[in-house]
Amino acid sequence: MIDSGIDRRDFLKVLGWSGAAVALSGCGNTSVEDGKETVVSYVEANDYMIPGIGVYYNSTCAQCDAGCSINGRVREGRVLKLEGNPDSGINKGKLCGLGQAGVQHHYNPDRVREPILRNGNKGETITWDKAYALIAEKLTGVKGEEIAFLSGGVSGHLKALLGNYLESIGTKNHFVYEALAPVGVRAANLKSYGVALPRYRLDKAKVVLSFGADFLGSWISPVHFSQQYAQFRKGMDGQRGVLIQVESKMSLTGANADRWLVVKPGTEGVLALGIINALGTTSGEIAELVKPYDHAHVTKETGVSASQIDKIAALLKLRSPSLILAGSAVEGYAHGAQNAAAINLLNHVLGNVGKTIEAPSNVPFPQLAPIVGSTASLKSLNDGLVAGQYKVLFNFAANPVFTAPGAFKFKDNMAKVGFKVAFAHYMDETAMQADLVLPLDSALEDWGTQVPEYLADGMQLNIQQPLMEKLHANTRSMGDILLTLLKQRRADEYKNFEDYYAYLRGSLLQNKGALGAGGSDDDNFWNEALTRGVLKISSSSATLADKAATSGLQLPKAETADAKFPMHFIPGVTASLRDGRHANQPWLQESPDPLTTIVWDSWVEIHPKKALELGIVDGDVVEVTSKSGSIKAQAYLFPGIHPDAVSVPLGRGHEAMGRYAKGYGVNPFGILDAIFDKETGELALHETRVSIKKTGARVLIVKDEGAAGGMQMGRRIALRKTTDQVDLSEEV
Amino acid sequence: MSVSNLLENWSQFRHTHPVDDKPHDPYKWAMSIDLDACTGCNACSIACYAENNIPVVGKERFQHGQQMHWMRIERYWDEDGREFADQGAQFLPMMCQQCEAAPCETVCPVAATNHTADGLNSQVYNRCVGSRYCSANCPFKVRYFNWYDYPTDDAVWPAEMSQQLNPDVTVRSKGVMEKCTFCVQRLTAAKSVAKSEGRIVREGEVQTACQQSCPTGAISFGNLVNPESRVHKQWQAQQVEIDKDKQTKDEKEEGSELRGYRIFEDMRPYPSVMYLERVRESAV
Repeated sequence: MIDSGIDRRDFLKVLGWSGAAVALSGCGNTSVEDGKETVVSYVEANDYMIPGIGVYYNSTCAQCDAGCSINGRVREGRVLKLEGNPDSGINKGKLCGLGQAGVQHHYNPDRVREPILRNGNKGETITWDKAYALIAEKLTGVKGEEIAFLSGGVSGHLKALLGNYLESIGTKNHFVYEALAPVGVRAANLKSYGVALPRYRLDKAKVVLSFGADFLGSWISPVHFSQQYAQFRKGMDGQRGVLIQVESKMSLTGANADRWLVVKPGTEGVLALGIINALGTTSGEIAELVKPYDHAHVTKETGVSASQIDKIAALLKLRSPSLILAGSAVEGYAHGAQNAAAINLLNHVLGNVGKTIEAPSNVPFPQLAPIVGSTASLKSLNDGLVAGQYKVLFNFAANPVFTAPGAFKFKDNMAKVGFKVAFAHYMDETAMQADLVLPLDSALEDWGTQVPEYLADGMQLNIQQPLMEKLHANTRSMGDILLTLLKQRRADEYKNFEDYYAYLRGSLLQNKGALGAGGSDDDNFWNEALTRGVLKISSSSATLADKAATSGLQLPKAETADAKFPMHFIPGVTASLRDGRHANQPWLQESPDPLTTIVWDSWVEIHPKKALELGIVDGDVVEVTSKSGSIKAQAYLFPGIHPDAVSVPLGRGHEAMGRYAKGYGVNPFGILDAIFDKETGELALHETRVSIKKTGARVLIVKDEGAAGGMQMGRRIALRKTTDQVDLSEEV
Repeated sequence: MSVSNLLENWSQFRHTHPVDDKPHDPYKWAMSIDLDACTGCNACSIACYAENNIPVVGKERFQHGQQMHWMRIERYWDEDGREFADQGAQFLPMMCQQCEAAPCETVCPVAATNHTADGLNSQVYNRCVGSRYCSANCPFKVRYFNWYDYPTDDAVWPAEMSQQLNPDVTVRSKGVMEKCTFCVQRLTAAKSVAKSEGRIVREGEVQTACQQSCPTGAISFGNLVNPESRVHKQWQAQQVEIDKDKQTKDEKEEGSELRGYRIFEDMRPYPSVMYLERVRESAV
C-alpha cells in the first residue's frame, strides 16, 4: 500500500465514485481531492446504499414501445446494467440488446445538457426561465390552428398532460408520428378480428405461417414473442412447432424458419389466397374469392412453386391450431392493408381466431391509453407546413428530418415555421433545425407511466422511475416541462403539483381503488407500485370478431417493371437500429447485424444471381437511385433476398446526433417516394422503385463473418438435424 | 514413453484438471446451448458488453479484426449451392469453451492462463505479457487482445460512459489478452455467500449475463457435478461425457437421435460447453 502510493482517500474514492474513474484518471490529483466533487459519506448514506453491493430497481424500458419492464442494477448511486423485470408479463425477466443499451442513452456523452436558443447559425445557452418565457411570448397572439405539436407515440400520464397542454393553448393539431408503425396490419385486423391488435399466441400454435412479421427481431413486442417462440419450438407432446416465413427480404425471423419462402415483393396476399384455394375447404363467398388463385396463377404471380403451396396446405390441414401472421413486410404497399386482410382470411378459414388469436384487454383508463403514430399523420403535418399554416411547431420524441421520406422535403418545409421548439436528448437532425432546443432527462432519470399498445399479458400500467440521480443539472423531465407550461396557462388547476413526481403520485393515489389497492395505505401502495414496477389491473376483454371480411378485398395484378427504375427497394428494419433514434449508442453500432454480420456501416443487399448479372461483387460501392434521391453504399451479396429487389437497412446515415451516429452509413429514408396505401393513407414503405449502378469504387466490408464469408467448410461447428432424425421426447 | 503408448493411453496422460477420480468437487461450471432455441438476436452479446466492461473498438479497429466481443454470434449459410437460403441461417453463440484440456494453457510462457479448481480456464491479466500464443493456439478463436489502452481512450470510454463500468470487473489495459470468464465475478460472489452459509451454490442461484438476458432461454449454465442442476441433467440426457473425445452414442452406425455435441471434440480440448443441434422440419 505504502509503496504503491495509494492512500486512503483514493481508496474511498473508489468506493464512493467509480472504479473506472480511477482507472481513467490514473495518478495525480483527482477532482475529489481538489474539492470539486465529494465522496459519499457513509455515515449518512441512504439506507439502500451499501458500498460494494448492487441494489436493484424496477422501471420501464423506453428504447422501443413494447413496454418491457426493466430491472436496473445500481451501485454507489450509479446504474450499471439493465436486465428484465420478472414481474412483467411482457418480458418476464428478459431484455433484448436494444433495451440493454438503454444505459448508453443515459450516459451518452452527446446528450444535450442546456437549453439552446438559435442565434443565426449558432446556438447559445440560455436559462430555463428564459426558455419558458420565450415559449409564452411566442405563443402570444398566435391562434390555436397556427400551432402544431409533433410527437412520437405517447401513453400514460405524459399523454394526459400533453393533451391538457394542447387544449390550454387551443390547438387540436397533435400529429403523432412513428416511422415504422403497423398501420396496415391494424386496419386489416380491425376488419378481420374487430380489434387493431389481438393477442397472438405463438405458444399455442403448432404451425406459424408468418408473412413478413419479424416477431423475433423488430415487430411489436419481440422479447415477448421470443419467449412464446421458445415454447412453440418445444411444442406439445414432443411435436415441435413449425415456422414458415414468407417474405422478399429475409428478416431475423426468416433466418430462423424451417422454410423461408421468397416471394415477389407485394404478392404475399396472392400466396395467402392461393393457399386457401389449395386447402379446398371453403365454400360461398370465400371459395368464390379464391377461385382465380389456382396454382398456375399463384406460381406466376408470386414465384412460389405449386408443390410448395400444396405442402404448406397439407401441413396446415394436418396440424391445428396454426397461426397466420401478417407483418410489416406485407403492409408496405399501395395495397398493403388489402395484402394483410387476405392473409388474415387464412386464420378465419383455418379456425384460428379465438384459439391462437385472442381478444386483447381493454384499457380501462382512456386518457392513459396509447395514441399510436403513423407516417400518414406526418404527411398531414407536412401538407400544413407546405401551405404555410403554422407559426409555432413543437417536436417531441420524433426525428422527422431524418425519418421522413425524401419526397416530403420535410426539412425545407419545416423552415417555413417561424418558431420551432424541439424537446431533445441529442442534437439530432430535427433539433438542428429548431430555434429552441430543450434538453430532456434520460429515461433512466425520469418519472412516468406507460401503457403499451400491445398488452401481451393483460392490462398493465408500467411505472417508470429514476434509477439514479440526474447526470446533468439542466436537463428536465418532459413531464415537468409540460407541467410548467401548463402553469403558464392554467395556474390554478396545477398549483398543487410542485413537480411531475407529485402530479404522478397524486394521480395514482387518487385512483388507487381502480388500480387494485383500494384498502391499502397511500405510502404502502406507492412503494409497492415502485417496487414492482408494474401495476397489473383487472380489466375486461375486448370483443373479438371472426369475420371473413371478403367484401372489397382485391389484390392488384402484377405490374410491368418500370424500365428506368427496375428494382424493388426494401428498407430493412433491424432489431437494434429500427428507425435510427438510438444510433448513437455504440453497443448497437458495434453489434453485428445478425444476417450480414456488418457493423458500423450501411450496405446494399443484393442477390448473388443479380449481382453476377450486373457484375457486382462484395464491397462494390453501388449507387441506389429512386425518383426521390440516391444513396451510395457497399454491396453485400445476400442469399435471402428476391433477385428483383435490393435492401438497405434503416437507422444509419445520420448527419447529426452524436459521435457514434454521425457519418456512419447512409439514410434510406431519404430516397423513399411518397406513395401511400390506398386504404389507410399510410406511407407504402416498400413501394419505392430504384435502379442500381456500380460507381467503380470498392471497399472492404467491415463485418464479423471473416474473409471466407463465414463458411463451415466441413468443420462440424454449427450442426443441424431434421425432425425425422431426432427424438425430442426425452429432453430436459 | 513411446509415442504409441502416448497415443493409445492419451486420456491418461492428458486429462481433466485437476487429475483425480473426482476432478471437480464441489464445482464444475458448464454450459449447454440449445441451437434450436437460439434466434441469433445478439441480446447475449450486448449483455456481455454491459457486464464485463468490454470496449467498443470502432469501425477501423473492427476492420483490423481487433473487436473484443467475448460472446459473438456466428452465422452460417447452407453450403450446398442452393439459390436461396430457404432453410434460414444457422446461428451459433461462440465464446470461450472453458476447455478441460485447454490448448491455450499449455502454450502460455508465463502461466497467465490456467485452470481453476472449479473448472474454469482463467486469465490472470497482470501476469499476461501479451505473447498472444494462447490466441494462436485456440481452435475456437475466442481470445481477444488489447491492442490499445482502451480505458484511457476517450473515444472508447468518454468520462460519462465510464460511469457505466461494472466495478466488479477490472478494465484491461494495453498488451493483455482477455476472454469470456463465465462471469467469474458472479460465481465468486455466489460461492462466497454459499460458503458463509455452509453450503454449496444452489442451482439457479447464479446466472451468467448471457444466460440471464437470453429471450428464448437457449443458454443453461450451472454446476455440472451437482445432480440437481439443469446442466447436469441436460448433459446426462444427451449422453455427452465431459472427459471423452468421442461419445459412445455417436459410435452407433445409424447415428444418434440425441442432439448434444461439442465443437471440435475430436481435437481433445474437452470443452465445457455442450451445444444442442438445430432442428429443421422435414415435412416442409
